[in-house]
Amino acid sequence: MSTAKIIEKNTVPSEAFLVHGMPDVGLVGVIAASHLITEYKMVEMAYMDSESLPPVAVLHEGLPYAPIRVFGNGGLLITISEMAIPADSIQLFMRTLLDWGQSKNPKLTISISGMPVQNRQDIEKPKVYGVASNANLLKMLEDKGIEVLREGYLVGPQALILRYCAEKNLPAIALLAQSFFNYPDPEAAAAALKEFGNVTGKKIDVAPLLEKGEEIRLRARDVMKRTQTEMERMKKGQEYDLPLYV
Amino acid sequence: MANRKKKQSIYDMIREYLDEAEKLKEGIPSTERPSWDMRACTLEPLSSIFVTPKEVIITADLPYVEPHSVKVEPINSDRLEIMAEMKRKVKFKEMGIVHHEGEFSSFSCQTRIPVPVDMRHLETSFKRGVLEVRIPRKRSYKIPVE
Repeated sequence: MSTAKIIEKNTVPSEAFLVHGMPDVGLVGVIAASHLITEYKMVEMAYMDSESLPPVAVLHEGLPYAPIRVFGNGGLLITISEMAIPADSIQLFMRTLLDWGQSKNPKLTISISGMPVQNRQDIEKPKVYGVASNANLLKMLEDKGIEVLREGYLVGPQALILRYCAEKNLPAIALLAQSFFNYPDPEAAAAALKEFGNVTGKKIDVAPLLEKGEEIRLRARDVMKRTQTEMERMKKGQEYDLPLYV
Repeated sequence: MANRKKKQSIYDMIREYLDEAEKLKEGIPSTERPSWDMRACTLEPLSSIFVTPKEVIITADLPYVEPHSVKVEPINSDRLEIMAEMKRKVKFKEMGIVHHEGEFSSFSCQTRIPVPVDMRHLETSFKRGVLEVRIPRKRSYKIPVE
């Protein structure tokens, strides 16, 4: 049976906001998480090790790093993956991250991701929807002016995070910005980050993210392409489905 | 015999055939290649194709591209070429990559269209850096429904 574990490199603070930015539609979560890591000058706190990870090392300034890492600073802990997550390992990886995260007693777990819309080219300002692991948090989202998704399907990392947190009675929300399905979408990431700031009270300047939009879209092409393959394997298109009435 | 196999309908046979084809596809090793062509100085854009009842919609993500530099050309009845000049050259070095040398100045890709279309009525638009090509489907016959 495959296993995964989180290996800590630094002392990880408790009671932080735990943010997940995993590859998914429009790479919204990865782009947003990457921006937060830069803005808050975060340092690597931990990384994931597992025999289910592909034999990949990510090189930065000539040094090798694990593709799935945890960064921290300023009351934030951020998990980010620099490669597409294999669809058949996603359950193991998300449960490992959540179990580890639970030991740090986070203030709130927040997933940032996209909500694919077919007419994305026509949308000037992507709308951000919210989902939550309990009714109190749904009310909090509504009080903050974030429309809550009432019915439908979620597929992917944020779906598992919400389900696991609901099972364990942990506070968790997901912020889902309208986005392209399979093109990197920095504008959607900026929209999600604005609502992230609204929820957490953290000040986030999204102007640099929007200025670098074209560069991000160019750099993120290959990760997006591999993420698309994994999204097809996990039947991501189900998010377009109409929910069954029960 | 109580458990004698029921005679298969043509639909069951097609479904079985498609299931087998899907399994075979999963077993085929992919031929991975880079998303760029160093000799032509081109990048392959991310692109998608949707077939609707009335038209085929092709989109391509084209960062660093001005709309006037985009060319969409049918190569034949079922193949389309998309080319676009970038407003500036992008070098590998800018992305911190030193083990490849070179620069890119344009996007280029060819797309195969899976159903008959009328290329003469192709329409294009370019919004938020994404090219959209709409081509009406060609219908050569109708089956009357009684």
